[in-house]
Amino acid sequence: MKQILIDPITRLEGHGKIAIFLNDKGNVENAYMQIPELRGFERFAQGRRAEDMPQITSRICGVCPVAHHFAATKALDDAFNVEPTPVAKKLRELMYCGYYIYDHILHFYYLGGPDFVVGPDAPAAKRNVLGVIEKAGVEIGKEVIKHRAYGQKITAMLGGKATHPVCGLPGGVSKGLNKDEVKEIETMTKSCIDFAKFSLKIFDDFVLANKAYVDFILSDPYQLATYNMGLVDKNNKINFYDGDVRITNQEGDEHIKFKANEYHKIIGEHVEEWTYIKFPFIKDVGWNGFTDGKKSGHSRVGPLGRLNASEGMATPLADKEFKRFYETLGGKPVNSTLAFHWARLIELLYATERVMELVKDPQITSDKIRNPVGEPGEGFGVVEAARGTLFHHYKLDKDGLIDKANLIVATVNNAGAINMSIRNAAMGLIKDGKVNDGLLNMVEMAFRAYDPCFGCATHTLPGQMPMEVKIYNNKKQLYKIIRQNM
Amino acid sequence: MKTIVLGVGNPILRDDGVGIHVARKIKEKINNPNVVVDEAITGGMNLLDLMTGYDKAILIDAVNIKNENVGEVLSFPLSSLSTTHSDNPHDASLMEALELSKKLGQENIPKEIIVVGIVLKEIPYIFGEELSPEIAKAVPRAIDLTLNEIKRDMNLR
Repeated sequence: MKQILIDPITRLEGHGKIAIFLNDKGNVENAYMQIPELRGFERFAQGRRAEDMPQITSRICGVCPVAHHFAATKALDDAFNVEPTPVAKKLRELMYCGYYIYDHILHFYYLGGPDFVVGPDAPAAKRNVLGVIEKAGVEIGKEVIKHRAYGQKITAMLGGKATHPVCGLPGGVSKGLNKDEVKEIETMTKSCIDFAKFSLKIFDDFVLANKAYVDFILSDPYQLATYNMGLVDKNNKINFYDGDVRITNQEGDEHIKFKANEYHKIIGEHVEEWTYIKFPFIKDVGWNGFTDGKKSGHSRVGPLGRLNASEGMATPLADKEFKRFYETLGGKPVNSTLAFHWARLIELLYATERVMELVKDPQITSDKIRNPVGEPGEGFGVVEAARGTLFHHYKLDKDGLIDKANLIVATVNNAGAINMSIRNAAMGLIKDGKVNDGLLNMVEMAFRAYDPCFGCATHTLPGQMPMEVKIYNNKKQLYKIIRQNM
Repeated sequence: MKTIVLGVGNPILRDDGVGIHVARKIKEKINNPNVVVDEAITGGMNLLDLMTGYDKAILIDAVNIKNENVGEVLSFPLSSLSTTHSDNPHDASLMEALELSKKLGQENIPKEIIVVGIVLKEIPYIFGEELSPEIAKAVPRAIDLTLNEIKRDMNLR
């Protein structure tokens, strides 16, 4: 007999839509968030010149163009059988860390931070960057603007516009650095290192010094014991631009380590009827529904996933913070979703230190920035986007045109975990059919921690994400709707 | 007086890119050193960055406005859009970015920001470079409104 899908479990459309299902006692059974998946990319890409992919894919998303740009460039290195020159790799990584600087600053001060600095109970209208400045002072606001701009400038010096980079070519980059630019980057980066340290101090003063907040971070609704995934270097330290993909388990031990081109061997994709998203899971663990724990193949990516999947940071100050992070939060792995915010600041510090290392490298002004390409074939590229692991996979025909293209983006890698985090937050706030007033806020905090990217549609004016939570009873009848910005 | 005209949207996401389609046409029609025409595949803070240093900005974008028909074109000051809280998942809203720069005493932001909005009900989630027929029909009117807006202050007639 054909299975009939009962409304409302049809494919959810629009963004920011959350459906919460209650059981017969009026408690939360399940919750789902619609993350709009942009469709038709494969068909769109087919027949285009492969060299255009770094520019085309950087347009996919207004928030992570640099990540797509380099995932594509690396896939082209592989597809054209060419190893970039050593200095080209360093220049790419330098530019990439510039992107982390502005992206992580933006998230902490504008998006994630306000919930903590202003307070999770503050009215929605205050929980934004303006509220942060009201509380922390105008001078801090100026520093935020300045250092975000520095990150963008570092990116732009190599890539043209930070929002639309042109830099990566198979086998290398299109532009190197001269001595004046090196000096300028050094000056900006020195200031960025201090600012990253200062940001960690803000986190200390406003969050860690407040026992109620620490308890909140460690509270049950915000715990999720999935596997963790991220790129690591040969010493298992975090690297944003290059390395192997490492997955660690609930004890913090390595489960598996693999190269980008083994992705399909290691990671499966699970299809649900209500969404176009294919949920990635670790194949040898298996799909076990939306559950966490060792028997369920979900893994988390992004700042917390990366910290948990690594054995430290490759720069001294960030590594010290890494150790303090685990000492404070009770050892490795940390499963608190809200710890993403702290992890993000530790990564900010790493990005600034790493730019300094790279820019002081005597080789950095070399003009050997590109190697000649080979014959076209198949290629895989992987980078750590600010919000998690990003894969590009292309098959080229003999003329170097795209035959097949597939992308697995960070938010999709986190999609299962985001749903579970929303469900767990909702569970704490809906009891016996009674919906607590703080529901929307707590649910928002649960998914905001991941810094999810909802595709490129979010820049249509007026530029706000409408949010709608629909709560259904055990007969799947609509019980309550909570809306914001709709 | 320096004016920047920005087509806002995503040129590879069908109707979402309508602002960019219009901006490309404007670029062919305008030849004046005080008018810069550019594309903005971004929003919020990044969008404000692109406008910084100009006296006036004209944003051509797909807008979602209640009770307006699809394909309608409207021109209005940005300040008439209301905003309360940045729920945009990544990036502050443009209004929040503007308010912030005012609070921090930034002086080189445009005194006047005009939106030329093409009404869209659904944001497409399928890649493509073409506009749907009903949105394509709105392009000439959006061009006219934008040119009027440019000429109003520039005496370019």
